[in-house]
Amino acid sequence: MAEVIRYDFGAGAPQTVLQGFEKTPAAGRFALTLAPGAAATVYVLQDEPSVARLDAEYEVTLAEGASLQMIFVALSGAQISNRVRIALQGPHAECRLGGLYLPSGDQQMSFNVRLSHDVPECYSSQLFKGILRDRAQSRFDGLIYVAPDAQKTEAYQANHNLLLSTEARAEARPQLEIYADDVKCSHGATVGRLNEDELFYLRSRGITAEEAARLQQMAFVGEVLEMVSDSALRDSLTARVLTRL
Amino acid sequence: MLTVKNLHASVGEKEILRGINLEVHPGEVHAIMGPNGSGKSTLASVLAGRGTFTVTGGEILYKGRDIRNLTPEERSWAGIFLGFQYPIEIPGVSNVNFIKAAVTEHRKQKGLPELSAAQFLKLMKEKMAIVEMDSSFSGRAVNVGFSGGEKKRNEIFQMAMLEPDLAILDETDSGLDVDALRIVATGVNRMRRPDNATVVITHYQRLLDYIVPDFIHVLYKGQIIHTAGKELALEIEEKGYDWLINK
Repeated sequence: MAEVIRYDFGAGAPQTVLQGFEKTPAAGRFALTLAPGAAATVYVLQDEPSVARLDAEYEVTLAEGASLQMIFVALSGAQISNRVRIALQGPHAECRLGGLYLPSGDQQMSFNVRLSHDVPECYSSQLFKGILRDRAQSRFDGLIYVAPDAQKTEAYQANHNLLLSTEARAEARPQLEIYADDVKCSHGATVGRLNEDELFYLRSRGITAEEAARLQQMAFVGEVLEMVSDSALRDSLTARVLTRL
Repeated sequence: MLTVKNLHASVGEKEILRGINLEVHPGEVHAIMGPNGSGKSTLASVLAGRGTFTVTGGEILYKGRDIRNLTPEERSWAGIFLGFQYPIEIPGVSNVNFIKAAVTEHRKQKGLPELSAAQFLKLMKEKMAIVEMDSSFSGRAVNVGFSGGEKKRNEIFQMAMLEPDLAILDETDSGLDVDALRIVATGVNRMRRPDNATVVITHYQRLLDYIVPDFIHVLYKGQIIHTAGKELALEIEEKGYDWLINK
């Protein structure tokens, strides 16, 4: 097994970690610990040659009042697998997860997320979106676990997929395991195709079918890219995404 | 400008247009009226090239050219505009990006350079004024959360940006209160030129008080069963369609 790389975030100014940018690894085993009151943003970019196989594992714990935003942008790689374990262990901890995956050719991308609310009054949200073309495959397994005494939990999860070919295949398995009774939780998953009414509307205004489809795809992934608060980083990620659409 | 000859069109196995004949010349305004389900919206969609419908017979000549095999975008470049009865909402695409993509493609097809940001904004501002839209609309997602009247004004704004030669307005008056109706109709009238034409599809006579047609056609069961001048609208308002259907 690969060595575990540790990040310990203490209270104080918010910190940002870029994984998979230039020389930092996009895969491997990572342990992230957020101390009480710590705030961190982690971006994971997975944009590898289409023969590469990537396995990433994240074990994350958040203490009281800690706040984490983590965004995955998986653009290319023969087989990308992300396993994410997040435990909210102190009250008022907050975790926002975003994910974007754009497999093409024969690429396979998967996310396996377990987000566990161990204590009361924590917040979590998950938004994963994928666009699949050619013969690509994706799989999203997402579990929200709410412990028996984790009252006043708020936990949301969404996974939406857009299939651009008849041979692409997206699997979505959202799951809730809730043992507390005073919680706000929701989950939803969809697998669909480009909206024909939108396409005709755009084309009726002179926008080519190709450009219309790009606009629709950008609109689809925009929600995740908008989570990136640093505008320079958002622009560069958007530009990378655009080359894949 | 537009010659429709014995046009037949179906959706699946169901024939909806059953031999339409229509001749529209530059400078004219034509109104198409008719009861629900007579094929009015289908005619509009077929003229704009919507793939849901199959043309099974007849011809559509636009500026002397048969357009049956043109894509919707090619028809748009050629100067045809469809104002939608139910404008489509496109979450995530802003109105400004949408219309910019459209204008840029139109200019490209004409061999014109892209407008600078300043030129484009100036043009947009000018055209939004025609339908009394304020600038906050440009940043909002296309038609998302727009009221019925705002959606229809947005259609006429797009029309103003694209300056079509043939505008087909499908029930542009539906869902409009009197003020919005006046704004929309005034916008359409301001765009009238001796070299363009408008086909207005409507249920009600009231739109025709504002956009005065040269001809009114009554569509029933996929055929035009009656054509007359603007006075026909009032007659229909009083007597309905039965007297025409039973004639």
